[in-house]
Amino acid sequence: MRRLLLPLLAILVALLPADVGAAKKIRVVTTIPDLADITRQVGGDLVDVSSLATGVEDVHAVPMKPSYAVVLNRADVVILMGLEMEHAFLPALLEASRNPKIQRDQPAYIDCSVYVTPLEVPTRLDRSLGDIHPMGNPHFNLDPVNAKNIVRAIVDGLSRNYPEHAATFKKNGDAYNAKLDEAIARWQREAAPLKGKKFVTYHPDLIYFAERFGMVQFGTIEIRPGIDPTPAHVADLIERMRQNKVDLVVRELHYPAGLAATVAQATGAKLVELPTMVRGVPEAKDYISFVDYNVRTLVNAVKGG
Amino acid sequence: MHRSAAVWIRRTIASAIGVMVAAGPFTAPAQQPAGDAQLRQELDTVKEQLRRVEQQMRQQEELIRRLIGERPAAPAAPLGTAPAPPGAPPGPAVTAPARPAAPAQPGSAPAYTPDIEELKRMVLQEIQPQLAAANKTFPSQFNPAIGFIVDTVFSHSRQKKSNFEFRSAEIGISGNIDPFARAYGIINGTPDGVDVEEAAIVTTSLPWGLTVKGGRFFAEFGRLSTFHDHDLPFVNRPMVLDQYVDGESQADGVEVNWLAPIPHYLSFTLGAYNKIGAENDRVDNRIPRDLSEFTVLGRVNTFFDLTDSIGLDVGASDAYTPEVRIDGLKERNLFGVDVTLRYTPLSQAAYRGFIWGTEILVNHEARPGITPTEDSPKQIFRFRDAFGLYSYLEPRLTRRYYPGLLYEYVQDIDRPSLSTWAISPYFTIWLSEFQRLRLQYTHLESNRPATRPTDDQFFVQWTAIIGSHVHSFRDR
Repeated sequence: MRRLLLPLLAILVALLPADVGAAKKIRVVTTIPDLADITRQVGGDLVDVSSLATGVEDVHAVPMKPSYAVVLNRADVVILMGLEMEHAFLPALLEASRNPKIQRDQPAYIDCSVYVTPLEVPTRLDRSLGDIHPMGNPHFNLDPVNAKNIVRAIVDGLSRNYPEHAATFKKNGDAYNAKLDEAIARWQREAAPLKGKKFVTYHPDLIYFAERFGMVQFGTIEIRPGIDPTPAHVADLIERMRQNKVDLVVRELHYPAGLAATVAQATGAKLVELPTMVRGVPEAKDYISFVDYNVRTLVNAVKGG
Repeated sequence: MHRSAAVWIRRTIASAIGVMVAAGPFTAPAQQPAGDAQLRQELDTVKEQLRRVEQQMRQQEELIRRLIGERPAAPAAPLGTAPAPPGAPPGPAVTAPARPAAPAQPGSAPAYTPDIEELKRMVLQEIQPQLAAANKTFPSQFNPAIGFIVDTVFSHSRQKKSNFEFRSAEIGISGNIDPFARAYGIINGTPDGVDVEEAAIVTTSLPWGLTVKGGRFFAEFGRLSTFHDHDLPFVNRPMVLDQYVDGESQADGVEVNWLAPIPHYLSFTLGAYNKIGAENDRVDNRIPRDLSEFTVLGRVNTFFDLTDSIGLDVGASDAYTPEVRIDGLKERNLFGVDVTLRYTPLSQAAYRGFIWGTEILVNHEARPGITPTEDSPKQIFRFRDAFGLYSYLEPRLTRRYYPGLLYEYVQDIDRPSLSTWAISPYFTIWLSEFQRLRLQYTHLESNRPATRPTDDQFFVQWTAIIGSHVHSFRDR
């Protein structure tokens, strides 16, 4: 019996959660690193945050790893972008997580799109239009003013679940909003050369950013959202880009390099490569440096740097 | 607030003041003739009214200034008006409850000025009937999500000749029942008829990492047994699954799944069913049986993150039937191991990577021996251990093109010394996420006496889905 006792104790210790004995923090799982960074700003020392996506992925193709189900199983709160941005992986992972408190419509399911005014809301839902998002374009994380809406949703969501810390979340949120306001004013000045510049992206990822800084989306390399281009579409796009003197071809880093380079070369437009999430490039280590990187890269391209 | 709206409001308020001042003398003569004192009193009343209206106007202007400052991009409609509902006859705009326009009575409380929140509520009150009307135009909005899948194949074989094969038209329905469970159904139409392939209830809110599923569903035996035919990575179900599991792992019964509450993915499944296998003819679902004739299943499944890009799924399943009636009430045991290795570079997940999947199955069962004769009329059953496997490798070259290679080997379930093997290169073209073409060639060799020793088969498969689609954890 004694010989059995020791291995059994060892197994029990191995199965115990790693944070036993440590001060209990709110375990937050976010879908993308942008939300993780903002949640850390709002939650401070009260939260332990992890993100499912690392930042380099196509947010519509984040792998559905069983290990993510385990992370979600142990979460107190899940924070997501919403507008069906995560439809390819989050609903199935939430079901596999067996965690009733973070399921859709539960208080711990925090949707960051609630205060966002969506762009490109389709007037007709039809698969011939591609893999469209019925509630509108979900890539609002690229617009820093919408980051303030994200802050608001996170402050509200965390306060709803942990009202005893509501004042702290509000204070931290206000402090981060002040930082964002300062940065937004700077970005508005720095991005002045982008005003009126026409661009083409691979996928409509940049629409909120463009709206904020006065850029003009001319088209996409994809024939429709989620549908790879055909040779006829590429030829037509190149022709129209030439006629309309499009300035930039933006390749989101998770899309193939070759075709974007070909389109840029054929039209004389400048090729720019951008991340679409925090940590998409090493320089974008948090949300503010992510927008910094995108503004700086685009401005440099426009100025011919 | 638009500037023209502000001007409109100022004019409205000024007009209201004018009307009230003008109305004062007209109301006085309607009463009994009065002396100077009474006239003076009435004049004082009018002055008091005027003072209140002026105060009200100042408050309104203050509110307008706040609105202009805080919401410069608000719609241009005048404050207090709401847009006409769609289809409404042309005419004056619908006017919101205009609290400030009501004349203040002498001695009444100071006029109420709505704040921003109150204004929001007023706007919502105005548009609510239209929202409700819009909702009423969708009486079917509680209907479940519905998807429809068409799967059709052209086949050519040296042995079986050629055929346009309409494989299936499948309707999938799913939705939440209540806060505690969801339900789904798969109804499949084939040239053989219409069949309920799955119809199950799944709990969604049990504690302790538990899920219970009941009804008709695909039992958690192995990996590809739980895939519908059109979801397979190749045209045909691997022979070992077709012959040992008897098609998809369809089962009528109940299943409990538990996710262990540890930092590593570890999932256990226990199930009890009439039988496993859509084409398993050992047991008839409609005829009740002894408890010893039910099939019980146990499965354990785990996952290892080898790197950020490489993951390994490993599972082991065992389906045990204590007594199989047609086998002379002897036991049957089907055991399987499945291994799936995925390489998914995170930054190129939609374009690059590969998947290697393998399943090995061992069937232990009393099977009929030599065909009965007049001299020996009793059927003799002997325990046979037969095994089979499949293994496939599918690299991902682009978002559209997935080539692959499938190898299969299977021993005859009655006479394991007889076996068949096949190799199938295939090429899948994803026209979009919802439409797929697949070409496949299969070379097959067998030493079973009833079949020719070799065969070559060609397939072209065309599959499409319309309506609702889900990215399920099971089919990942």
